[in-house]
Amino acid sequence: MGQWEIGGIRMNESRMPAIGIPRAMLYYRYGALWEHFLQALGVSVQLSPPSSRGILETGTRLAPDESCLSLKMFMGHVDMLIGRCERILIPRYSNYGYTELFCTRYEGLYDQARNIFRSSGQRFITCNIDAQNDSPEAKAFELFGVELGFSARESRRAWQEASKVLKQKQKAEEQAQKELAAKPGMKVLIAGHSYILSDPYLGKPILDCLASSGAITLRADALESETARKACAKFSPTCRWIVSEEIVGGVLHWKEKADGIVLVSAFPCGPDSMTNELLIRRFKGIPILPLVLDTQSGMAGVETRIESFLDIIRFQKGEMV
Amino acid sequence: MKQHRKVALPRYGEYNCALKYIVEQGFEAQCILPPPLSRRTEDLGARNSPDLVCTPFKTTLGSMIEALEAGADTILMVPGACRLNYFGELQEQILRDMGFTFEFINLSLYNTGNAKDLLKALRVVNPRRSMVKTARALYEAAKMIEHLDDITTLYYENCGFDPTKTYPKVYKQFIADMYAAQNLNEIHEAFRVASRAFEEITLNKPSDPIRIGIIGDYYTVMDPFSNLELEQKLADMGVEVHRLMNLANDMLRGGGKNKQAKIREFAEYSMGASSTADIWQAQNFAERGFDGIVQVKSAGCMPETDIMPVLANLSRDYKIPVLYLTYDSQSSDVGLMTRLEAFYDMVEMRKKVNP
Repeated sequence: MGQWEIGGIRMNESRMPAIGIPRAMLYYRYGALWEHFLQALGVSVQLSPPSSRGILETGTRLAPDESCLSLKMFMGHVDMLIGRCERILIPRYSNYGYTELFCTRYEGLYDQARNIFRSSGQRFITCNIDAQNDSPEAKAFELFGVELGFSARESRRAWQEASKVLKQKQKAEEQAQKELAAKPGMKVLIAGHSYILSDPYLGKPILDCLASSGAITLRADALESETARKACAKFSPTCRWIVSEEIVGGVLHWKEKADGIVLVSAFPCGPDSMTNELLIRRFKGIPILPLVLDTQSGMAGVETRIESFLDIIRFQKGEMV
Repeated sequence: MKQHRKVALPRYGEYNCALKYIVEQGFEAQCILPPPLSRRTEDLGARNSPDLVCTPFKTTLGSMIEALEAGADTILMVPGACRLNYFGELQEQILRDMGFTFEFINLSLYNTGNAKDLLKALRVVNPRRSMVKTARALYEAAKMIEHLDDITTLYYENCGFDPTKTYPKVYKQFIADMYAAQNLNEIHEAFRVASRAFEEITLNKPSDPIRIGIIGDYYTVMDPFSNLELEQKLADMGVEVHRLMNLANDMLRGGGKNKQAKIREFAEYSMGASSTADIWQAQNFAERGFDGIVQVKSAGCMPETDIMPVLANLSRDYKIPVLYLTYDSQSSDVGLMTRLEAFYDMVEMRKKVNP
């Protein structure tokens, strides 16, 4: 598989890694798929460093003021890769079909980044998942592989392998959580986009804070996609953003095991602004804490709210009379 | 089943005349027009909505509340390409939590990509009436929307240069006629009367007037109340105001796919909802040598925020100024006027320096 070209550059002669992946946004949901796909084809990959305050500050400067925290973080990650790889990969997740959609932000991400970084001369590459326009996931990855210089057959096989890896990863997460949920003790269900919860700068402090207060943390997104989406379709039939369906479905699935729910969202997340409101309105009898993260740093406010939330749960359970 | 439903759709510019026509001529039902949008509508909506949702959600919720107060027993809600598709379900929940009793027809539920499901929706709204009559009413309402948009376009392009000040009178009469129309003849007749009246007015327009193009999100740009009558304000300064974004152009006349090809340089793929149409329109205005572009969006509108970097590049390439306006539920006239005047002064100065 030695020699291959993208955009006329023979990659094995180039000193830079071929593909750079920003470690933000959908990377936390589908990153395993992309990485294994590229790995199976033998393409060198460069990840941007883990999120930090500096990266968020750069992103905040670059992105439009009114965009969401996650997009700002994403643009910061793209900036870290400029000039450090041949192409930056920003897959375009548009839809899996007429009623299986993604947030418009993921849809525009590739073109938005191309416009923001236009003067840098950096080249970008996408994998266009848009079933409504004749490019379902399988075909999208096939075309992506072909664009990288591999045969359709090689690309297809790489995608099949990578999909299996992604599925197994989700299954393992679900299994691990099942064991966790069976343990005794106070359990808090935390729901939010994986790119918030798994982000070392945004979500990790919240998870740490919960852990240090002695609560067992369950994650809504640790559930197989099909199970979650089926549950969500019953609960909210017109919710059609796949990632939101997974989160809502996860909440429905794990809620029985939990003593309280923390809904984490980024300011001003479009889908969350509506699905979280619906959850709060339809769930009665279980304490819910909505947390909205913005570019203001400092954890003191969040810690206070989580501590008092845990006190409420303890009070409800009769542990604090 | 009730004898006569009292159907309402939240206020949306003047397009409610088309819904009224469909409901009254196509279905055997009565149409309740919610009161015109006001501060009260916005307050009612904002108070009962989640904070971070976009402004059209709040405004339409407020209008639904006012429709129910006005006696409606059925609320109809449309689907859409962005968050709009999810408006209905959450709004229904909020209205029920507020204690209202009503029937809610959420067309999003039937928007599955399968034409059969849309027919099902028609049967839900209209169980007994013949499909032929309904289809005819839909067609005639589409004609109404086209006429309404054509007259509105003419109005804002010219009303700033009318020395007799009769333009607003003609326009108002035309809108009233649209709401009163009972059949296709009356629709056509009202259109002819208004067009003729416009033609008879001698305009005092310079050969090369200042031309400004308006783009923006589906709701805010087409609803004069929501954009604080931006177009009228610009026209009153002596500007030829152009807006291609309207229902007739975007839904009835189509041409969406080829637009993407024309804007490839700026956006290879659709960036969601109104983005492709907006970028295409902005490029179109720039190529025709317009003096400025105004982007109108509601606070929190995702696709419109995403295209801001694209518009910035377009502005650089074509050397055309772009004014970005964001409307939330507490926008006041004064702030908008200041920004518009400053933008107008800048545009006028540029025109003098390089005519």
